[in-house]
Amino acid sequence: MADKPQSEHEAGEFHPRGTVAILVMFVLAIIILWASVYVILLSRGVTV
Amino acid sequence: MSEPGASKETLHIDPYEKNWMRISIVLLIVFAAAVTIAGFALGFQVPSPEERVDPNNLSGPWLSPGLRELSPGVYEAYIIGDAATWQFDPRDIEVPVGSTVTFYVTSRDIQHGFKLQDTNINMQILPGQVSKLTYTFDQVGEYPYICTEYCGTGHAFMFGSLTVVEK
Repeated sequence: MADKPQSEHEAGEFHPRGTVAILVMFVLAIIILWASVYVILLSRGVTV
Repeated sequence: MSEPGASKETLHIDPYEKNWMRISIVLLIVFAAAVTIAGFALGFQVPSPEERVDPNNLSGPWLSPGLRELSPGVYEAYIIGDAATWQFDPRDIEVPVGSTVTFYVTSRDIQHGFKLQDTNINMQILPGQVSKLTYTFDQVGEYPYICTEYCGTGHAFMFGSLTVVEK
């Protein structure tokens, strides 16, 4: 009887490209939004 | 001591998970560094509780809230939030451009907020506590201030305006 074929994950060749793409967008969104707020903070001047 | 030939168990972490942890840690470090630089190197401060007062018996400068000139170009502004009238007292302030104003704000009754638009002044206003921040106005214009904490049916009417005029 032939061996059961290994799944892509079991073979160690699983590359979740869609998930990685979503995570990259998520990280970029966090960086851009955080940086924009930080720039606004700096542009408004110091509060003591 | 382990027996010869015994398998050594190790924690397996997927490379994607490792990279995600690395990115998260780097982001946290960068954000913390940016906040530290703003706070300690550039001098950005958050509102500090300056002093305690009796909200039912405000005295001293609170008897006549408003703007006082301490020296040329240096002012202090005492402002009271009041839910009985849904107003800030005073409601209008005017200073010349280049002025440095120290805001002392408190509440006579319940929690309010004090947000001066287009500046970093944003304070929580509590009865019995005086919140303090100092800011220098380098640009002519109108800076509305509003209550940012929902304080009741008249919350939307709690606003005022600081006007910066030419010298």
